[in-house]
Amino acid sequence: MKNETKRKVVRIAVIFILIINLLALLFVFSACSHRPENPKLTNEQPAIFPDYKEVTVPPNIAPLNFRLEGDIQNCYITLNGENGSSFSYSGKNSIRIKPKEWKKLLTENAGKSIKITVSSQAKDKQWSTWQAFNIYVSNDPIDSHLVYRLIEPGYEKWHIIGIYQRDLTTYKEKPIIKNNMTAYNCINCHSFCGGNPQQMMFHMRATHGGTYIITDNEIQKLNTKTEQTISNLTYPYWHPSGKYITTSVNDIKQFFHAVKEKKMEVFDIESDVVVYDIEKQAILSEASIISKDAYETFPSFSPDGSWLYYCSAPALPMPQQYDSIRYALCRVPFDANQGRITAGVDTIVGNDRFSASFPRISPDGHFLMYTETAYGQFPIWHKNAEIRMIDLLNGNPVDMSAINSEDTESYHSWSRNSRWVVVSSRRDNGLYTLPYLAHIDENGQASKPFLLPQKDPDLYDYLLYSYNLPELVEGAVTVSPYAIQHAAEKQSAVQVSFR
Amino acid sequence: MKRLLTANWLLFLFFFSGCFLFFEINYRFMYRFMEQYQLFLYTTNYFFDLLAQPGGYNEYITSFIAQFFFFPFVAPVCLAVLLTAIGFLFWLFIKRCGVEVSALPALLPVFLFWVFPVESIASILSVLTGVASAYGYTFIRKPVIRYSSGVVFILFLYFLATPAHLLAAVLFGLYEYCSGENKRRFAIGAGLIILALLLPLVAMRTLYIIPMREAYFSKFLYHPEYPLPTSFWYTWCAFPLMVLLVYLLRNRKKVFRKDWINGFAICLTLLLIIGGGIFFRENPLEQVYRYDWLARQQQWDKIITHAEKHPAKDQDALVYVNLASAYTDSFNKALMRFKQIGEDGFIPYDPRTRLGLIEAEEVAWTVNQTNASQRFAFVGVLSSERCVQPRLMKRLIETYLVNEEYKAAEKYIRILEQTLLYSSWAREQRKLLQPEVAESTPWIMAKRKLNPVTDNPHDLTKSFPNAIAFLIDDHPENRIAFEYGMGYLLIHKELGAFMHYMKALNERGEALPVLYQEAICIYYSAVEQNPETFSSFPIDPAVYNRFTTYLQQVRTLSPTLLARQYGDTYYYYAQSVQPPKRQNR
Repeated sequence: MKNETKRKVVRIAVIFILIINLLALLFVFSACSHRPENPKLTNEQPAIFPDYKEVTVPPNIAPLNFRLEGDIQNCYITLNGENGSSFSYSGKNSIRIKPKEWKKLLTENAGKSIKITVSSQAKDKQWSTWQAFNIYVSNDPIDSHLVYRLIEPGYEKWHIIGIYQRDLTTYKEKPIIKNNMTAYNCINCHSFCGGNPQQMMFHMRATHGGTYIITDNEIQKLNTKTEQTISNLTYPYWHPSGKYITTSVNDIKQFFHAVKEKKMEVFDIESDVVVYDIEKQAILSEASIISKDAYETFPSFSPDGSWLYYCSAPALPMPQQYDSIRYALCRVPFDANQGRITAGVDTIVGNDRFSASFPRISPDGHFLMYTETAYGQFPIWHKNAEIRMIDLLNGNPVDMSAINSEDTESYHSWSRNSRWVVVSSRRDNGLYTLPYLAHIDENGQASKPFLLPQKDPDLYDYLLYSYNLPELVEGAVTVSPYAIQHAAEKQSAVQVSFR
Repeated sequence: MKRLLTANWLLFLFFFSGCFLFFEINYRFMYRFMEQYQLFLYTTNYFFDLLAQPGGYNEYITSFIAQFFFFPFVAPVCLAVLLTAIGFLFWLFIKRCGVEVSALPALLPVFLFWVFPVESIASILSVLTGVASAYGYTFIRKPVIRYSSGVVFILFLYFLATPAHLLAAVLFGLYEYCSGENKRRFAIGAGLIILALLLPLVAMRTLYIIPMREAYFSKFLYHPEYPLPTSFWYTWCAFPLMVLLVYLLRNRKKVFRKDWINGFAICLTLLLIIGGGIFFRENPLEQVYRYDWLARQQQWDKIITHAEKHPAKDQDALVYVNLASAYTDSFNKALMRFKQIGEDGFIPYDPRTRLGLIEAEEVAWTVNQTNASQRFAFVGVLSSERCVQPRLMKRLIETYLVNEEYKAAEKYIRILEQTLLYSSWAREQRKLLQPEVAESTPWIMAKRKLNPVTDNPHDLTKSFPNAIAFLIDDHPENRIAFEYGMGYLLIHKELGAFMHYMKALNERGEALPVLYQEAICIYYSAVEQNPETFSSFPIDPAVYNRFTTYLQQVRTLSPTLLARQYGDTYYYYAQSVQPPKRQNR
């Protein structure tokens, strides 16, 4: 072939490729700009997932992308801020809101609302415009990060688990530690001191077993089983001073139900509450609640550190009376200077009708949130488990029906400004626990919770993990996963004492 | 003919055919079994999620291909094609290194995939990618461009098909060494190898947060929870070692002067290796994989037919044989026909293995312990290498539908809808998410009718008789649970407890199977001599007459003759056979 001919062939090929690319771009562009033509107006609100209709969101949350349920060919959505700006998006059956535009909307409409109008095109090409819904933008920001463990909601076995941190202002998720780096052991019970990402702890079980306390990226590995306590430290909560961690020590057992109404039961055959002194590396006997005739578990401190809250039940024979055991919510005064309990038990919520677990007090000390279930102390497998709250200023219960669903609600954590909570809930499918965020106003009134937003709203469909122990924290955890791995593999555990 | 004997394509043809026969004869059911441990999703997220991990693209192709292993002959054909391609490209590569050899040395390392068969073809694909890249590398003539391409190849191979980058880098280095023999090229080759070795460390600090093993060898080639098998090292190192070997021996004289005799000797050697592999290699798990496959297809009668000719080799196979007997209404006959080992032959104890969990969920489903079936299916899914198991996901959907947990069922339906093989089944199940449709579906209603109503903490795999007793007490009409329960009692000769159930059965006026009649005969003859009660049982005269004849002959007949004449009866078992040791559950 002559050079001239070669050039011609190449020239034609290049032009052909350019045209194809242009057509492809045009196609993509046209696909993104479907506008409803002669839409039929409907009186119903659209079915969307996640359900973000009429929810209240913090002004620093990532865009609430969602998809339309049903056989939808195209959709067109407009977001109109009460204070001005308006943006529209189109897509197949879901929308991806641009972070910059979303941020602008939230900033402009803090304390106001964003009206969302959804139009959808069915397979028969007919457009429908649904009744608009609102998203209310709160003035109260939420803590920037959420830390959780991703775990299969399995029974007796785990495979791949990890503790992750999610930046709530974006969609970025990073592992803090994954068990594929630590011989596929069990990693659990992460806890932060007052939501401070630089002061955290968690446990590892089996290989590299121990309690890991991380302060300003310094890692301490502890062996917390002592002769005087029945197990390693289990369910933890930090004292606001950062000097102590209260935890339960539990002899945990489980069995599986035969009937369809129940799945499994996790129960203690022995449990106590202890206080661990971080500086002295010792469990303090004078601050611990150890008794043979009662089970104590799920301790926490009040925000001022002067009260130690915990759940307590009479030591019934287990598992024979697994469905009769009910935990009361109690507290004892705690002297942080001397590291001891100074007076007797004060019962906050009795156990005559229900059982309480996970007491968590809002950082402003105003509200006490806990989980209530018919019996027992492990509510995750109890469909009747609900969130309850008490106004500590007057002792009255606060209505939490806005937060609860027909399925399980269990673990919860407060934001530092006491205006937001994250609640674990199985409302989506009854099996996988997902984190829902809800606003609590100064009177304790809860708004409708919303599911943690994801860039791809379909993510939850294919996710085979539960979000376990979601904890709101004020910033990013900076310790490297490799540093934790190194500590797990190389550091020998310091034996804590009991004094 | 003489020319034919020196033709390398003939060797590749032999090898291809040998591969096909080897895998079809010895591993036919293993790859069908392994199909259910991959789940290729037709979603963009699935592609990008995999692409974001080292070796993810290789895994994407692996799972795409593996989904077709469900169909007959696909796995052996696929393996034959891939392994022959590796051998062929490796032979071409050796030639590019300046060594003229027959195809036999190039095929020898590939035979290691016969010696150490892999469960997933990810490893084979990765080797193929590495060898193909090395071959492609040799075509770049200009050194600077070749070295630069080598760097690019290594980068790409690392992200797409690690550890192919390591193999490719070593082969690049060997090519530089073999084809040039100058220090500069040797240094460049060594540099490429160092780059390949350092790359995972750099990736760990910049792109991924993963353990070192996954950074170097990806998590997809072998189960990441277990140590890397030594077979990995043998297989992967064999390729560069073979290059070195043939290079060092390149000037040796041929064994035979005449080419056609050499060719004949090579062909013969290859055929001997192939023949030896095909006829002397045996997969010890092939029987249980076969039964598992037949169970998936619900071809229970084929399990029985096979077991009659080839007795169950292990307890896993026996579990399937007993399960098949239950489905084919021949459980009672099977108890005497197949050698029993007690509970372990009914259901595995506290299952942790892949097979054990599948068997446990199948048995639990069959005896209508829906919760236990769901639990074992769930654990089977989550503990699998890739945390997916479509066959068990199907069972999960069924259990959720039976237990009226529609939202949980929908979760798995949605996932299976994105597959090729299971999507139509999943779409069918979607209709059942409407309670009124589920309530008019016979199989769901049949399961719901037999679902346990009395709660109890007994684990079917750990306290089998107690768990079964609850099922029978709740629903005496639960035929299979009843047969398993009676099977347990009869095998262990617990005739007192057995008679408790027989009296209840008799009161309900139900017909008694021959095995039970024989057990009643021996009970009233040897344990409780009460003719009145005995006569209340509807014993078939033929059964009774045979029993009385047995009693007359038991002392006179030789043990062999007695076994031949009465070996299929329960009274013979009760009096002459040692029961299996009771498992310490």
